[in-house]
Amino acid sequence: MTIPIESAPPPGWDREGIDGLLGLLPPGRLSEIVGPRSSGGSSLLLALVARVTTSGGQVAFVDGMDALDPASTAAAGADLSALLWVRCGGRLRPALAAADLLARCPGFSLVALDLDELGPVPASAHVRLQRAVEGSDAILIVRSARHREGSPASLVLATRRLASRWMGLRPLTRLAGLRSEVSIARARPHAFSLGSGQGEGCWTLDWTL
Amino acid sequence: MTRIACLAAVDEPPAPATLLQVALAHSPRVEEAGAGRVYLDAAGLEGLFGDEPCLATRLREAAAAAGLSIRVGIAGCRVAALAAARSGPEGTVVEPDGDAAYLAAVPLSLLELSDDLAARLARWGLRMLGELAALPTAGLFERLGGEGVRLQRLARGEDPRPLASWRPMPLFEESVACEWGMETLAPVVERMGELAGRVCASLGARGLAADGFEWICRLAGGRVHGGSLTPAVPMLDATAVAGLLRLALEARPPRGIVESLTLRGRPVRVSPAQETLTDRSRPSPRLLAATLNRLTALVGADGIGAPALLDTHRPDAIVLREYDPHPDRLPRRARGGSAPVLALRRLRPPAPAAVTLASGRPVAVRSGRLAGRIVAGVGPWRSSGDWWTQRPWLQDEWDVELADGTLCRLAHDGSDWHLAGIYD
Repeated sequence: MTIPIESAPPPGWDREGIDGLLGLLPPGRLSEIVGPRSSGGSSLLLALVARVTTSGGQVAFVDGMDALDPASTAAAGADLSALLWVRCGGRLRPALAAADLLARCPGFSLVALDLDELGPVPASAHVRLQRAVEGSDAILIVRSARHREGSPASLVLATRRLASRWMGLRPLTRLAGLRSEVSIARARPHAFSLGSGQGEGCWTLDWTL
Repeated sequence: MTRIACLAAVDEPPAPATLLQVALAHSPRVEEAGAGRVYLDAAGLEGLFGDEPCLATRLREAAAAAGLSIRVGIAGCRVAALAAARSGPEGTVVEPDGDAAYLAAVPLSLLELSDDLAARLARWGLRMLGELAALPTAGLFERLGGEGVRLQRLARGEDPRPLASWRPMPLFEESVACEWGMETLAPVVERMGELAGRVCASLGARGLAADGFEWICRLAGGRVHGGSLTPAVPMLDATAVAGLLRLALEARPPRGIVESLTLRGRPVRVSPAQETLTDRSRPSPRLLAATLNRLTALVGADGIGAPALLDTHRPDAIVLREYDPHPDRLPRRARGGSAPVLALRRLRPPAPAAVTLASGRPVAVRSGRLAGRIVAGVGPWRSSGDWWTQRPWLQDEWDVELADGTLCRLAHDGSDWHLAGIYD
């Protein structure tokens, strides 16, 4: 009997869409989501939180700017009881220290550090975070407005705003969502193989309000 | 037939031991209910003390001999016995099978409801237990969940929980004296680690863990320096406890020469749980407790927890609950086919904004975080609530897009504009 090396994905897994994108994030390594405001970066992060919690994993969310909206998180499908929320109130150093502590605590499937425009981040911080998560099964992901030069991140996803979507003709009646583009700004080849169906490492995603 | 006597102190709550001694002198099954209240199993005591009125009289006399003034109520369940004890200067004996009828005329406050629940039942017009007992159970469950059904059963005189018999709690305390005194923190931490090992060993020998620790440092000159430690989960690992104690002592070191140390563990029984093969990995209680303690030192205890949404439409109505990675339930399954959701980044507190209006619609915004001309916008979406309370709220919300492409939410509370959040 031959056992296939590549197992079949679970039911509902969307290889071409966001599941395929999120499947690229390597465990045990630092990844980044970078992009300006209203570019879909936070939505991408919440989609990852939702997928991890609904599959039984535990998520630690270090909220540098105290900006997480639990209502949006729940709407994205996340299980809030599996989410450890650390509110840092706009203070950078506690946020970095908290992410470092949580990356060293085995058992979390995802440790997210949301810095947004908080900074400037010391160059050594990313190196320290990478060291903290090495050897664990956790995905460590940093969400910030811009990529920090010298970061040892294995994967950097850049988000870009394409267009807002509205319902109704003039006058508009409702904000329907946002179309954004996610591209791989940087990838270290030893961490994983880019097996996306889109080949160019670029995804167009429609976020719905 | 279950018969329960309630002994309730009339004046200030006495020392628990005194009331317990009175109860234990009459029945071997006694439950301590706190705040000057004790329940005892009154079934089968006729041969010793006569009928129930005689038992009540004897209990009052025994308490008076111990210097206590108590009321005694006897009924078929705890709630009815408590109501009977509070009914008059000496208490009442409720006839067997008469609990429901007796409780019907008792105020709801007997159930010691939370403020929210009491206010909710008051809004429904409920005042007496009989009114709660008469409600349809299915409807009550829909509105209040299992807690509502439990309260209704109590109001009907149905209390399925048996008496939790009181047993003397063993003391888990270790001490060490140092004749020459300890002037620096390092030997204090080392001795405290040794005490933690001994306390954890004695707890483990009885199959217990500790959900709290207290330590006392006796200083030269007769002064005392003490503190307590409450880990996130019950612990039995001496190394982890020693680490937490070290952190606590470093945060609040003793100011003086330490002559003796005492460590006391608060025992608790932890039910064993076995992970299944399909479970995802979760933080171990020991490491999680240490990590949460360090996080608490970083951001404060009110900045850590699992978020939960409150049952209201008020914007950003959330609460942080205790984070428990080992809940007694299965994880939620992913919602099939759900579209990716646009996230809102909250500004806490909402940033004051200067908004320019044209024909009643915002056309430009300026705040500390952003400024610009509005190129598209919808609103107002009005939400309001709590108008039936002393703190009503009302808010108009606008979703707008600025010229630089930023999508944000503006809020107007009737007088001021705020930037509530940014879509990202």
